[in-house]
Amino acid sequence: MPGKTIAEKIFSRAAGRDVFPLERVWLDVDLAVVRDFGGPNVVLEYDKQFGNTCPAHPDKIAMTFDYQAPAKVTKVAENQRICREFAAQHGIKSVYDVQYGIGQHVLLERGRVLPGEVIVGTDSHMNLLGAVNAFATGCGTTDLTAAWKTGKLWFKCPPTFKVIVNGSLSSPTGAKDLTLFLMNKIGTDIANYRAVEFYGEAIDNLDLAGRLTLASHMTELNIKIPFFSHSPSVHSWLEERAGRKIEPIEADADAAYEGVLEYTVEGLRPVVAAPHYPTNVLPAGAEGVVGQKINSGFIGSCSNGRIEDFREGAEILKKAGGKVHPDVRLIVTPSTKEVAIQMLHEGLYDIYMEAGAMVTNPGCSLCTIGHHGVLPKGDVLISTSNRNFEGKLGRGGIIYLGSPAVVAASSAKGVITDPSTL
Amino acid sequence: MKFKGKSWVVPDDIDTDQIYHGQYLPVTDPHEMAKYALTFTPGKENFPNEVSEGDILVTGKNFGCGSSREHAVICLQYNGVSCIVGESFSRIFYRNAVNLGYPVLECPGITKMVTEGDEIEVDLDSGLVKNLRTGKTITGVPLSDVEAEISNAGGLLEYLKTH
Repeated sequence: MPGKTIAEKIFSRAAGRDVFPLERVWLDVDLAVVRDFGGPNVVLEYDKQFGNTCPAHPDKIAMTFDYQAPAKVTKVAENQRICREFAAQHGIKSVYDVQYGIGQHVLLERGRVLPGEVIVGTDSHMNLLGAVNAFATGCGTTDLTAAWKTGKLWFKCPPTFKVIVNGSLSSPTGAKDLTLFLMNKIGTDIANYRAVEFYGEAIDNLDLAGRLTLASHMTELNIKIPFFSHSPSVHSWLEERAGRKIEPIEADADAAYEGVLEYTVEGLRPVVAAPHYPTNVLPAGAEGVVGQKINSGFIGSCSNGRIEDFREGAEILKKAGGKVHPDVRLIVTPSTKEVAIQMLHEGLYDIYMEAGAMVTNPGCSLCTIGHHGVLPKGDVLISTSNRNFEGKLGRGGIIYLGSPAVVAASSAKGVITDPSTL
Repeated sequence: MKFKGKSWVVPDDIDTDQIYHGQYLPVTDPHEMAKYALTFTPGKENFPNEVSEGDILVTGKNFGCGSSREHAVICLQYNGVSCIVGESFSRIFYRNAVNLGYPVLECPGITKMVTEGDEIEVDLDSGLVKNLRTGKTITGVPLSDVEAEISNAGGLLEYLKTH
């Protein structure tokens, strides 16, 4: 019998027997998370189906309010209340309310996500938790209702592709550029429903923030879950957060892969994803891209909302003259309260606000239309988020995706700008 | 299970914001969700008013990519769309449909043999799809064992009552 991939190891542990690719199995769920979007639908369905009976494991349920935080319409306020009341009724202690920030990031910071765990949530980017080799996946409300009641859920064990990324990145090219480069190369078809394991020099060099950036784009390639080469620094951060020693999870040397893809990012320059697909990737300096007038910029989201991202943006903003262009509205949103506090301590709020940017409270911000800063028809946004689908932030709004460096440089110049040319 | 109905056709990569836009996410009533189905899909802005009970949706590749919102399935279900036949589906959309016991059939090649408005017949169990206007047939990929069990039970929550 060949060795196991990371996905096969996690599935086998959670199923209590050897599991092979494409098998459908019921797994024990370690954490079942709802947001203020989806969450109320789960609670209402749960009450309808199961009345007052208690969930299987209240300690394995978490709620994170980041869709519209704090609520700006009463319907969302009611939805959040529905969730809070359910939590109080059933002794669910892990309610990370509107002040905390983006759910997955909050759960990571609080040591609630560990390698090898099975996690589900009402967010299609749950799989960014693959950044720490947890198996996490976005689900609908029916799935979450069932997982709360039974503690289990059905899954198909994904086959795995090995993706090797060689070369090293040199600033201001960073993890976002590597990510968008791979998005364009891999596309939405070849790894559909697959797990991927990332290896190679460029991956080994990614810190947690960089791994989160790459992992948070996998949904857009239809990749079920990404996993990563072992990183001693990420692992010790996780142990510190969990407050105990934890076992890393790695693939066996003789694991069987469906395929191997190999790329190099040596010499890569900053790129953007042009409208309306995240895979529509072009050099930031390409004709037809560079010089494109923009109306707004956004640094934040579950892709690029870590302290490292805001440091990068601030550095480039300073290099580009320290001021946001008068025709541009730059919105800066820390992913979590912890990141916001660190930004304060490092003086990053001052840099952004004095430059003319707007720093908002933690949350998903301009990743959904639920938040402030949505687009009128014809406006162009350059964003560090992970989706630029047509109409996402308002009918007729146009979205480019890029790194914090690209967004900062472009926001300073008023037009899409390759930060390496500053 | 067999379905016969008039077809609606949408192209590749229709994402969940086009099926059910994020601005309607706070909605929890499925009848209200139905009012917004496909209204952000170019050319289908008036779909909820024009669709009839029993119509069938034919989609391009990667239908339902994007968000995990189950609203995207429910809004079609509550418009009386009897089933969806697609070149391929995004994973979460497909899973949500199975969990709701809502008929979906993956059928590569379907968009090449159906023009919007054609009457088609879908046999979910065998995967056979027939275009009643042209007489042409094509075979899709029926649900696998576990998925079929869940779907045939009426969805995941019904399934759990007996398993």
